[in-house]
Amino acid sequence: MKSAQKEKKSNPQKGKILPADEGTRKAVLDFLKKSLEKSYFDVLLIPAKTPETKSYSWILLKDESLLEQADPLPPVMTVQGGNALSSITKHGDPNLRIGALMRPCEIRAAVELFKLNQIDLDNISLISIDCPGAMPLQEYMVEPDKIADSFKTISEKWEISDTLRPVCQICHRFSLASLLPSSEPESSSDQSERVLPASDLHIGLIGTENKNIFFIPVTDKGKDILEKLGLSPEDSLQDWESKVEEMRKSKLEKKEKFNQEWQNKIEGTDKFVAAFDACINCHNCMRVCPICYCQQCYFDSQFLNLSPGDYLERAEKRGALRFPLDTILFHLGRMSHMVLSCVACGACEDACPMSIPVAQIFTLVGDQTQKDFHYVPGRNRGEPLPLQDFVEDEFGEVETPSEGAEVSTEEAEKNA
Amino acid sequence: MPKALKINKSVDEGIKELLEFLIQNEKIKGVFTLKKMNDEGAVSYSLITDLDELKEAVPLYPFMPVNAGKVLSAFSLQAATKERVAAVLRPCELRAFVELVKRVQGSLENILLISLTCGGVYTLKSLNNGNLAKQLPQYWEAVKKAEIDPDIRVTCRSCENFIPHLADMTVAAVGKKDIDNECVILLNSQKGEDFALNAPGSAITEEMETADTEKLKKLRVEQKEKLFDDFDKNGVGTKAFIKTFAACLGCHACSHACPICFCTLCDFDSKSCEYQPLSFVSELSQKGGLKVPPGNIFFHLGRMTHMAVSCISCGMCSDVCPVNIPVATVFTRVGDSLQKVLDYIPGRDVEEAVPSGTYKEEEFAEVGEQ
Amino acid sequence: MNGSIGVYVCECGPNIKDRIDIDKVIEEISSKEDIKTIKRFSLLCSNDGKKFLEDDIKKEELTHVVVAACSPKDHEKTFMNVCGKAGVNPYLFQLINIREQCAWMIPDKEEATSKAIKYIRAGIHRVVLHNPLEKIEIESNPDVLVIGGGISGLEASLSLAGKERKVFLVEKTESLGGMAKKLSQLLPHQGANLSTIEEKIKQTEKDENIEVFTSTEVTDVKGFLGNFEVSLKADGGNGEEQKIKVGAIVVATGFRLFDPKEKPQYGYGKIENVITALEFEDMIESGKILLKNEKPPKSVALINCVGRDDKGYCSKVCCLYSIKFAHHLKDKLSDVEVTDFYIDLCLPHKDDQNYYEEAKKKGIHFLRTGEVKIEEKGGKIEVRYKKDGKSESISVDMAVLAPAMVPGEDTSKLAEMLNIPVDKTGFFKEVHEILDPISTPIEGVYIAGCALGPKNIPESIVQSQAISGKILSSLIPGKKIEPEVKVSVIREEFCTGCQTCLSVCFYGAISFDSFKGVSVVNEAICRGCGSCVGSCPSGAIWSKHFTYPQLYQEVLAALK
Repeated sequence: MKSAQKEKKSNPQKGKILPADEGTRKAVLDFLKKSLEKSYFDVLLIPAKTPETKSYSWILLKDESLLEQADPLPPVMTVQGGNALSSITKHGDPNLRIGALMRPCEIRAAVELFKLNQIDLDNISLISIDCPGAMPLQEYMVEPDKIADSFKTISEKWEISDTLRPVCQICHRFSLASLLPSSEPESSSDQSERVLPASDLHIGLIGTENKNIFFIPVTDKGKDILEKLGLSPEDSLQDWESKVEEMRKSKLEKKEKFNQEWQNKIEGTDKFVAAFDACINCHNCMRVCPICYCQQCYFDSQFLNLSPGDYLERAEKRGALRFPLDTILFHLGRMSHMVLSCVACGACEDACPMSIPVAQIFTLVGDQTQKDFHYVPGRNRGEPLPLQDFVEDEFGEVETPSEGAEVSTEEAEKNA
Repeated sequence: MPKALKINKSVDEGIKELLEFLIQNEKIKGVFTLKKMNDEGAVSYSLITDLDELKEAVPLYPFMPVNAGKVLSAFSLQAATKERVAAVLRPCELRAFVELVKRVQGSLENILLISLTCGGVYTLKSLNNGNLAKQLPQYWEAVKKAEIDPDIRVTCRSCENFIPHLADMTVAAVGKKDIDNECVILLNSQKGEDFALNAPGSAITEEMETADTEKLKKLRVEQKEKLFDDFDKNGVGTKAFIKTFAACLGCHACSHACPICFCTLCDFDSKSCEYQPLSFVSELSQKGGLKVPPGNIFFHLGRMTHMAVSCISCGMCSDVCPVNIPVATVFTRVGDSLQKVLDYIPGRDVEEAVPSGTYKEEEFAEVGEQ
Repeated sequence: MNGSIGVYVCECGPNIKDRIDIDKVIEEISSKEDIKTIKRFSLLCSNDGKKFLEDDIKKEELTHVVVAACSPKDHEKTFMNVCGKAGVNPYLFQLINIREQCAWMIPDKEEATSKAIKYIRAGIHRVVLHNPLEKIEIESNPDVLVIGGGISGLEASLSLAGKERKVFLVEKTESLGGMAKKLSQLLPHQGANLSTIEEKIKQTEKDENIEVFTSTEVTDVKGFLGNFEVSLKADGGNGEEQKIKVGAIVVATGFRLFDPKEKPQYGYGKIENVITALEFEDMIESGKILLKNEKPPKSVALINCVGRDDKGYCSKVCCLYSIKFAHHLKDKLSDVEVTDFYIDLCLPHKDDQNYYEEAKKKGIHFLRTGEVKIEEKGGKIEVRYKKDGKSESISVDMAVLAPAMVPGEDTSKLAEMLNIPVDKTGFFKEVHEILDPISTPIEGVYIAGCALGPKNIPESIVQSQAISGKILSSLIPGKKIEPEVKVSVIREEFCTGCQTCLSVCFYGAISFDSFKGVSVVNEAICRGCGSCVGSCPSGAIWSKHFTYPQLYQEVLAALK
């Protein structure tokens, strides 16, 4: 087993720095406009303000004039970008060259869906962008102007505000992971090179004081985009890299605290069950989750339906039987099916009508279980899904419980 | 005058005493009713068979985590229950269940239906604010006075069908000034009377529809008319419809919360409604942009054609919508209109066939005539 | 559904009768379950018993049958046949094991009875949900493709070919015989001269039921047991494509030798007169053992285990052929000094020990050391080695290296084509070394000889004969194949084409339909193991005989 890598030497990456005199949003949109004008892309996939509302939708955009309503980083995440992309290529490639600009967690979700054959990436260029986080959706729908204003300040100053969604406050994967030194667990499959990384091109915003934007090519496709648009990547990325690292450290600190806090809150059957006391079993969380790709969720099917006699027997065993049934089974079952690919995007919590902290719970569990498999969902297109991959020496902690208990994450990584 | 049972306890305690009696005397195996999940006000429907567990029941709690019609349908889907159970549910939930029974998605057999004259329920979000407990006094005041609590669901505020005609027993609530001390349970059917035999309390007679219920009905109809007026001014027509659903995520939470939507695999969740590659190409050749995932408006219109005729306006759909689209308002308005044209009231009579499954030679003539 | 269930409890002689209160069983089941009849019988698997069962099923007009008796491994087929004869679909039947799992393992009669009742109730609740599955029969082609014309391939071809079974023998090189033909001689106890090999080649070429393709490669394989379609290309894979249809495939693609150039310490390719075993065989063949300077060597070092540590396995045959070389040297060059360097001596067969002793008697030195190093010193070869911690060396004229056997160069290409696994050594992997040593997970595809790993000629022949036995008994000309009935099936409307099921299918029974974007189970290959069913998060795959409702009801009834 390879030992976990310490700090990797960062590639002396070069990028392209462009001025953002009219603000970063305009600079990004100008770049995209150019890509359409020069026919590098047939269409763009980008969020745009829905006419006559304050909400945002994904638009497959052909007409440049629509860019006026577009926003690469809206204050909220409505539909998860992975789902938007999946709806386009699920039944085949429409043969349109698409430039998709999405938040890092949406890119990672798209990569997971790609591994599950739900997205065809042949004609798609994935463009990721530094993300300051997003605001809680339901709060925004009630007071859009107020929340949008808060978000503007937060994104300009790159604050880790506690008005952001809880999972955004601890997100250390808000930028381009693959080129920077990281404490990410090393993949257990032989993926030594950064082969087939997640996005093709990354737009750096942090550390620019909103005066510039950075373009970082990741794949050859990404390099090609820049070159064809007359932007040769020759500038140093030092400023951006150091700011990203700073922010990453702060987020990781917050994450450690969060992990401890939530471990205490939900560990053990009683506490876990109590967390879902208010759950009405509506399954919204599953519906908006990008990783939940099943045509019909097992927990929506008739498989779990029993006869009235069976229900009564079950009720009599404990004196009462909660309806709709199998609330905890749904959450644990969904967890066992998707948590290894959970990208901590927070869509589930936004959609919960009972404000249950689903994203926080699943993010915690995802974090722990992904570490056990040395897997980071969506970091790399070639990295096989743990559930579909056979690795001979794996998960040894489970077979030898005395070693597995009380092992800190660093130790677990070292032992890997 | 119809028979009734009077128990000298508050309306909450009285109904629980009756349920206790029914279970203890083995008249029923168990009861479907709301039960406390924790001390923060979370409740869930529960099939309760044990008297200790029954202590945690809150049958008249003004909250609807799920439409109970769905619950009873899941219970009796495979077969009618052989053992008798009771169910405490609101008038709209009962009507929903009847609509499902008509579609062979459940059975009424051996279920004792207990309802109430309904003061409505609060929205799901009201629980999150932690204010629900504080709201309760205000709620019951409105019930006593046969007035409308302004904080209940929009659909509840405009609901004139708050009197459960198909129930076997009905807890009289609306307009009853002394519900803190007295619980009157109307026995609406022979079944109700039979089950109430030897129950604790005194036998009285009382009407279900009173001057107070009439008063509330008027108020509710007023609200409905205002709601409909508003909708007719701002929500009608293609553009307005699109605007109403502009923020829609396509999550389909509304259809899955809806009691009438019973399909195991909804057509709009299936592959047949997903876009093929050529559809994207053709739409983009005609327009400058396309919202993805596509098909939201089609979904809502489609769902409407499938179920609006049976819409009982419970309001679950609006409550579960993550982006606060007033789905229930739209579907109530259209449902109301459609039901009037077809002279159909969902849940009124289990023998009354759903219009989409019937053929009448003379029907809907207004459309044929020009 | 209006059906009627019959339950039959077998006394099994005294086996069940004495340990389970059958009367109680009948009483409990009758009162608790909705069945048409429940009866007992002394021995249901006897002729009388089977007749009784058949008659009673017909009399009671049963639609579903439950028998509580012995293990399904014993008599499931028996009773299924009876059901068939009685007009009940054999799959609307469930055999409950109340012998091995109740009577024979629970000493307390009451406990055993109680468990038996639970099991029978579970079976009743399950059987009513069974599907009336139908057996499938598919045509099968008895012909066989043998890939590789070496000794294993020749042996398999000769054993299999017959009037009703054609063998297509495909060889990549220009001639048959493989590596064995490159030898100058065999070991004395194998029948020293190569006439055996020559014989087999001649026989093969003469046999009118064997069609030989030389200079031909297999470029594509489609299909499954009994119905393979294979594409061949002559001219080293560049010629025209030819298609043949066969029912089974034997992979006998042999091995290569490890290239000693990869281990510079042996000086191969740099130092003169350092040669490999095959090169030495050529010399023997030519009749003259000579150095580069045309003179005979006065001293020869035989170096074994070249590449053994790198590869991680022993190649089994080299120790013996080195001894063969040693004997030959001593016999042909009377005053030559021969030193045999080895790490471990591998002499597993009956006559090997004797051969080694005779070599020692001839004055051949055997030195056990670790890996050696070969250097050039003053025009001669210096073999450096460590003995008891001390560095020593000898000077020789010629060094003959015995390199490890490694997988043939097309192994991974073929593995992918046939969807069969290779292990970490790179050789093909058999299903199970003990229980299934020449099969692959793909039914109808077998592997023989060194393609599976190092072995000698007799062992290769044995494997080929074993495969022939398997094919001769399972792929019978004119007989149809009855694949597994209790297979998995994918519901198209619910499949999203994520291919998780495909990635867990050991038998290659699932393929992906790229037009529809769904995965499809090939029912002729599927073995019904159920891995795919468990892997699908949505439940889009069902097992025909282990559906969720069947399993749930069985468990629920058992727990009542």
